Amino acid sequence: MENVIRTNGIIKKYKGFTLGPVNLEIPCGFSTALIGANGAGKTTLIDTICGVTGKSGGECVYFGDKTDIDDAGLRNKIGYCSSMCFLPLTWNVKNIAEAMEIGFDNFDRNKFNAFCNRFNLETTDVKKPKRLYKMSDGNKMRSYLAAVLARDTELLVLDEPASSLDPLARDVLCDIFREYLAEGDGNRSIIFSTHNIADMEYATDYAVFMANGNIIEQGFVEDLKEKYILVHGEADKCEKAKPFLLSCTANSMNFEGIALAENLAKLTQLDTAIEKPNLQQLSVGILRKAEKDGK
Amino acid sequence: MKIYQNSNEPIYKQIASQLREQILTGKLKAGEPLPSIRILAQNLKISAITTMKAYEELAAEGLISSTKGKGYFVSPQDEKMLIEQHMRKLDDGLTEAIKAARVLGFDLTQTCEFLRNLWYMED
Repeated sequence: MENVIRTNGIIKKYKGFTLGPVNLEIPCGFSTALIGANGAGKTTLIDTICGVTGKSGGECVYFGDKTDIDDAGLRNKIGYCSSMCFLPLTWNVKNIAEAMEIGFDNFDRNKFNAFCNRFNLETTDVKKPKRLYKMSDGNKMRSYLAAVLARDTELLVLDEPASSLDPLARDVLCDIFREYLAEGDGNRSIIFSTHNIADMEYATDYAVFMANGNIIEQGFVEDLKEKYILVHGEADKCEKAKPFLLSCTANSMNFEGIALAENLAKLTQLDTAIEKPNLQQLSVGILRKAEKDGK
Repeated sequence: MKIYQNSNEPIYKQIASQLREQILTGKLKAGEPLPSIRILAQNLKISAITTMKAYEELAAEGLISSTKGKGYFVSPQDEKMLIEQHMRKLDDGLTEAIKAARVLGFDLTQTCEFLRNLWYMED
């Protein structure tokens, strides 16, 4: 199985916003990041894939051959976590564990407690654990993540798992992503949306960029880093460099932008500084281009 | 393994060159299994796609090969290839040295003299 998810022209129509048609293939065995501005459609895409909201059209194929997201066997293999509070706020970790045990037969309470420990949360052994409404946003997210991770799944779909976490917890999350994939040895995949690209770069294998409800770029991060170059230069070179830049920002002293690597020689002649972009710089360049094109 | 995350040299190249060195010096022997791409990624705290790219580069050079479903193994190194690899390294190093010598304005005799001094200093 090469792709864990394949979407064939899925569409979701809302008043004033349309997602798609999205044709997307997400590689199996890797971690895929959905990157895009607010309102680009990341959550809509995630919710449509996970069957949380219905589709207006198109088809989504899971694990190579399954198409019915309402099938219990398929749902059992997918761990979904919304970015919003999706559990009753009066619950504590004990209630979460009890509910997960009823809902899923692959939930492991010991694993749940182990994740709670790693996230510095109370475990189900505590007599009266804190209720969710008394927790910070970060600790709420840690509780949700522990619940999803404690299931033996083959695909994690996480909406903004990093945004409310502190830097330490984000580092733990990256470790957990890599562990999850290593344990699966090619049969487990992760899809997550994020704005915290720099923090998640070393836990990202494949990147999907979205703007205005559509996919605008995608690829393995190592390939994208070879496809694009980051260009810096002095302001007086900006006009000459511009035809080769996909997007750029300039002030009175300097300019910065990204370009296709095939323009390397021409840009070098202009006496500019050229670097390999990191994922954060790449994302800014690609999203800035999308914003420019959209106007 | 030593990885610089903020270096100009891509991480996959750093991994590839360290493994290459270990294979060419015989530290990693023919037939030895390499850690899976995801285990190596987990231990180095980097993405699996990066370790995969490093392995792919070494595989393209014939230093390692993959067996489907079993991962990557060190390939038997034939004498000729080892010599070729070391010749390439010598070529690269000397080309760099010549560039530096030209900047300094050294001629061939001066450069050879420099090399000779360096050679005996090593002993």
